[in-house]
This record gives sequence, structure tokens and C-alpha cells, in this order.
Amino acid sequence: MYFSQFKQSVLVGAGLILTSLSPAMSQDREESQGMVLLRGLPTLDTSHSIAIVELDPESDRFGEILSEVEQPEMEHPLHHLYYSPNGRLYSTGLDPSCSLAEVGLSRDADGAPVISGFTCLDTQGQMVGEDIMWANSNGQEYMFVTFMGGTGGDDGGSVGVFDTQTNEVVKIIEARKSQVGEGEPYIMYPHGISAFEDRMVVTSTVHPDLATGVGNVLTIIDLNALEPIENILVEKEKPLNFPSSPVEVLFARPDMHPEIEPAILANTMFGFETWKVPYDASSKTFGLAEVIYSGVANKTAVPLEFYGTEDELFISHALPGVVKRYELAALPELVSSGPDIVADPGAHHMIFYTSASGRDLIAIQNNLLNLGNGADDDPTDVDFIADLASHTISVHDLETGERLATIDFKERYNKGVDNLEGLFGSGFVHHH
Amino acid sequence: MLRVFLILAAVAGIAAAGWLVWDRLRAPIATPIADFSAPFVFGRFSVPPDNPLTQEAFALGRHLFYDPMLSGNNQVSCATCHVQALGFTDGRAKSPSLSGGELDFSSMSLANLLWGQERFFWDGRATSLEMQALMPIQHPDEMGQDIDDLMAELRASGTYRKMFRRAYGEVSPENTANALATFMRMLISADSKYDKYLRGEVRLTAQEEHGRKLFMAHPDTKISLRGGNCIDCHSQFLTSGFRDALDGFSNNGLDPDESLPDGLMAVTGNPAHKGFFKVPTLRNIAVTAPYMHDGRFETLEDVMAHYNDGIVVSDTLSPLILEADNAPEAGQGTVGLRMTSEEMKAIIAFLHTLTDDTFLANPLFSNPFDGGS
Repeated sequence: MYFSQFKQSVLVGAGLILTSLSPAMSQDREESQGMVLLRGLPTLDTSHSIAIVELDPESDRFGEILSEVEQPEMEHPLHHLYYSPNGRLYSTGLDPSCSLAEVGLSRDADGAPVISGFTCLDTQGQMVGEDIMWANSNGQEYMFVTFMGGTGGDDGGSVGVFDTQTNEVVKIIEARKSQVGEGEPYIMYPHGISAFEDRMVVTSTVHPDLATGVGNVLTIIDLNALEPIENILVEKEKPLNFPSSPVEVLFARPDMHPEIEPAILANTMFGFETWKVPYDASSKTFGLAEVIYSGVANKTAVPLEFYGTEDELFISHALPGVVKRYELAALPELVSSGPDIVADPGAHHMIFYTSASGRDLIAIQNNLLNLGNGADDDPTDVDFIADLASHTISVHDLETGERLATIDFKERYNKGVDNLEGLFGSGFVHHH
Repeated sequence: MLRVFLILAAVAGIAAAGWLVWDRLRAPIATPIADFSAPFVFGRFSVPPDNPLTQEAFALGRHLFYDPMLSGNNQVSCATCHVQALGFTDGRAKSPSLSGGELDFSSMSLANLLWGQERFFWDGRATSLEMQALMPIQHPDEMGQDIDDLMAELRASGTYRKMFRRAYGEVSPENTANALATFMRMLISADSKYDKYLRGEVRLTAQEEHGRKLFMAHPDTKISLRGGNCIDCHSQFLTSGFRDALDGFSNNGLDPDESLPDGLMAVTGNPAHKGFFKVPTLRNIAVTAPYMHDGRFETLEDVMAHYNDGIVVSDTLSPLILEADNAPEAGQGTVGLRMTSEEMKAIIAFLHTLTDDTFLANPLFSNPFDGGS
């Protein structure tokens, strides 16, 4: 995720306030509170919601929902949370009525954070919002949102460009495979997004109905023209006999660490691989795409997210449910920095923070998608995906990986947990 | 007929007397502040458990704040030196003292005191708003009031007896401090142009945006990053200071060692704190001239000139200020940011976006003796 200096100052400043609270106030340390998107499970009669949850295992309120706003009117839940550089909170959404929303946060008379609601934004027909990042085009900052469904159709998909102040659509970047012509760059089912200088990359993942089509390319977008200019195939092994379905992507770049040579890293959800695509910034050309991690060889599947701290890169693998860790300075090569962190099946999003006693922690949200459970006769169940839905957040010591505590949202709240973000940012500095 | 009238009158009389007795004996009323909401991005705040925010305490505190009864000569109120339209400052370098001279420090702006600080006054001599509230009242040069005499005056007032009873119970120095602290805590400013910008309601001009970026940046010539270095000390500029007890104090290069005032050292006794003064809020900074703890600078242009090439080096000068230089290649003739005229103007333009006209004219914070609601 792109963090401006101001966002850092706002969030870090707020964090400084929090870290200096007296011991008597330690139960109210907001830096250990997480924002989660919860999915109501149809057979358990619960509604989707946005909630603030205490994630410090040292707190006697661990696992408690501190504030919650439900969305009983929405068939599908909100999907991914992101803070803007100015500290505004946004969420993408799976429901066509709310593919992108701004979430309201405020404080009550006790100073406690409360979710004051959310406002669905006009996306001009773009559906199934996935990832958000803020990047510049010709010196002007915009909010870029991937819409996996785009404006509809079998080969839909778009990147929405939004005004950062008004949230209005500035442009819809769209290029249907069926319309651009053979060999011309297209955008289809975009999900992951990242950028370096004037080049943006989005992935081609899967049609939102999980049946119509699956992608296998990266799409490069010229941020000057806001147009797609190139597709890069990232497909080799096909362990599921599906196209590779690249999902999350990270443009590794020198501002993450001065020793990093620019390159795209991409995880393929159904290929189980991590790919590297070198980039020559002087000629603005991409090199040969190659697999740098094989899930088949390493007995892992469904690699998902990239999160970077100051010195490590973390990649989640939904099966068997682990987070692998690498030396940040060694990117774009994946050089292990320690043993896997063993989470639960569906290991997905994560945040980094400290406990009240100062212990460095990582919390991992373990669900691929919050669809129903077949054991509950849930009509939304998909077997493959149900195996990747533990409905948990596991909390681990960051240094050792030791699991310290787990919240089972299905057991405790009759809901699944779809996304996790820190209340004051996530302690990571690189996500997209 | 007369008998019925007398009976009704007697019943009414008994009821009235009963109500009066009940009203005096009942516990204080603690009505939560209606529709309270504060910006999330300002961060966590905490209110002393024994002095919660209530409507009754706020109303009492507001009356006390504006009442010259709080001074020994019944002519000076808190509002004499804290004028709402001036961001609760008084527009003077130093306020006049009762003895005819002037006070040691410039009147401090009051806004968003809910957040942050654990120490109050320019030299940090008070550790809570409640502690702070009674100090000017009893200071012989500020309000010159004997606290026992003040309690007697307040108890003699039926209006105040009733307001204290509703807010806290009895008239006491402690409850006087609590009420004033509550009023000050409720002075929330969150509707400046910059607040609106953060909420996405307005855009900054190109000059204001340039100033915003300079404000946030520490200069780094290695990567051609120009900066005003403001955020290094003013990271809590939206609120009112730091919660970490002493983090919000700094020596910003005003005086040489020979004439450096004690500042925070007068409170802590630590020589490393000599010349340290509180880093103030920048809320409404454009209406709170003159500037610095002694009001030595009349304009924001003067302030920027100081930081640009007027820094005076002393033993305790903030290293963040000492090392912030946009033109190190120009030699060491002066110490300062060495920005261009346009850059300084941009920062000043940004500082003007911190003016909250709604706050400065909010009738809830105005003088209730002027007929304010």
C-alpha cells in the first residue's frame, strides 16, 4: 500500500498518543485493535458487518467486538479495507449495490473509536470491488480500484480511477479481451494492483461467479495515458487444470529498500506459484517472467497476499495455512528469513502490531472467501473454498511464529471473517 | 368555595416546598453531552473518571470562564486573556499583570485540549487541566483571587449554588477546577478548511497544497526533498500537544545560552530542559498572533523568517531544527531552513487553512452573560 508521509504522520502520531497511555489505560490500546469485515452466514441467521475487534492476547477483552455496524440489507459483504494517504477509510464490496464505500469513523464521549456508518460510492456500474491503491498520474494523485466484475459480461473487469477528494469517477480503464483484437493488451477480472513510477500492474484473476472464466496474465497500465499497454503471461504448472489465476501482485521497487532491483512479484491462486517479472526502469521494459516459488514442489497451495515490514516480506498460502517470510532486501528473489508461521487453512490478510507488554505480534485472518459451510447445508458453499475457510484470526509472536491465541468468529459470533486491517494502519509499509 | 381554594393553595405550597427540598437534596445530574462526536484521526483521548463530560459541568464551566467574579478585583475573567475570536488568546505579546507590568508569558491558545497533553502552560508547570484551572485565578499578577474568598462569593450566588448543585453537589475549589476543565475540554475545533480537506469536502489551492507538503517534509538534499520541517515538532498540530509528558517541549532557537530562559527546566530542574517551551497547537494559528512564548514575533512571516535563517544556536537547541537545511551547500553563514520566499509563503498559506471560523464564532463557547445560549 502506498503510504504518504502525511498518512504516516497521522497514523503514527495517533499511535504515539496510544503507546504512551498509562498502564491503567492499557485495555484501551488502539494499536492492537483491528478493523474486520465480517460475513453473515445464511444458515446461522447473521448479517454482514464492519467491526472493531481487540487483538491483543494480553487484554482481557481479546476477541471482543468493540464497535460494529451491520449491513442486513446487503446480500454480499464488503470485501477489503484500505486507509487513504489522508487517513480516510475505504472498503471495496462484493454486492452490486455497494462495490466501493467510504467508512465513517469517529469517537464517542469516552474517546473510544466507533464505526459511524458507511457510504456507498457511485462507481458508474463497476462491480465486485477488490483492491485499492493511491498512485500518481502526471503529477496528480488518484485512487485506483480494481473491479473484478467491471461493468459486467463474461470478460468484464476494470480499473476505476477516482478523485481522491470527491470520490467521483475520473476514468474507467477498461479493455475487453473480446473487443481489443488479437494480441492487444486487455484487462480481465482484475484483482491485485501495484505500481512503480509510471507503470501499474493489475492481475487477471477469475470471473466473480467463479465459473465463467479464469485469467492467467498480468496487465501493465501506462499511468501517463491511463491505458493498458502490455499483457504478461504467468502460467506454467496447472495443478488444478485451471488457468493460473494471478491474484495479488507487488511491484518490488527501490523505495522499499535501496538494494531491491525493480520487478513484479505475482502469486497465482490456482497455479500455486510466485512469479517474478524483472523491470528495466531506464528502458521501461519487462524481462522474462519466471517462477521463483512452486507450491507443487513445496506442498503449498493458493498463495495470496504480499505484506512487507521494514525488513521482511510475508506471503500467505491458504493451504496448508502458512505465512512464509523472506528478506526484504533480497527482493525480487525470495530468500527465507525464518520458519513458516503456521496459521489456519485460508491464511490470507495480516497485520503487525505490539502487545501491551511490547511483544511484536502478527495477526493472520484465515479465510479465502467467507462462503458458507457445507456441513450447515449452506447454499453458498463451494467445497474447494469451504476447505479454505477457517473463520479465524490467529495471533502469533512475530519473531518466533508461536501461536499465542485464536479467535474463531464462526464459533463466537456465527460469522466469517473476510478481511483484517489495523485500526491505525497495519504496521506494514508495503502491500501494493 | 374559599375552603376549597385554601386547600388547593396549601397543597400547592406543600408541593413547592417539597420540590425545593428535593432539588437541594438530590444527587447531581450527569447529563451526557448530547450528540458528542469527535474526529477519529485526532486520536484517543481520555477524560478523568472523576470529572466526566456532562452538560451541567460544561454550563457551569462556561459561566465561570467568563465571570470576572473569579478575580480579586472582580474585573478580570479567564476570557480577558482568552478571547474566543482570537483562538482564545488575547492578541498581546504578554498580557498585562494586575500589578501594572506584564505577565511572563503570552496567553496560550485553547483548542482541542481533550487530546494529548499531560503538561500545561508554556513551561509545563501544571500536570492536568484541573490543576491548571485554579493557578491563574490565584496568581497575584493574573487574577489575584483568594480561593476562600471566591468560594464565599460563589456560595452567595443563588445561580451558582444551583449550577454547582446540579453539576457536582457543593461549591468547592475542586469543583470549580473541574467545571473550568470541562469547559476547556469541550473547546473542540474540527471544522477548519484543512479538516474539511481531510474529510474530502474541499480542495486545497495549489499554494496551500505546496505548503502542506513542505510542512510535512524534513528536508533531504540527497533525494532533492525540500521541506519546512514543521511536522518534526508539530506532529500533533491538529490537536493540542503530546500525551508523552515531556515530548512536546523543545528549544526552537530563539535565544543564546547567555540569555536562554529556564523554560521547562524551572519545573523539572533538569539542565537539559533549559530553554524548552511547549510546542503549541497550530489550530487557528493565523488569528493567534503574536507568536512564541513571549510573543516576540508579530506575524507568521516573522516566524517563518526565524526558522528560515534566524535560528540561534544554544546547548539545548533541538537537533531536529539544527539539522534541517534545504541549502547546506550554501555554507554555514546562518542556521535555518533556507527555503525560498515562495516556499515560506506556501507554508503560511497552509497554516491559514487551520483557521476554524466555526469554532471561533461558536455560540456554545461564547460569553453566556452576553445573552449567549
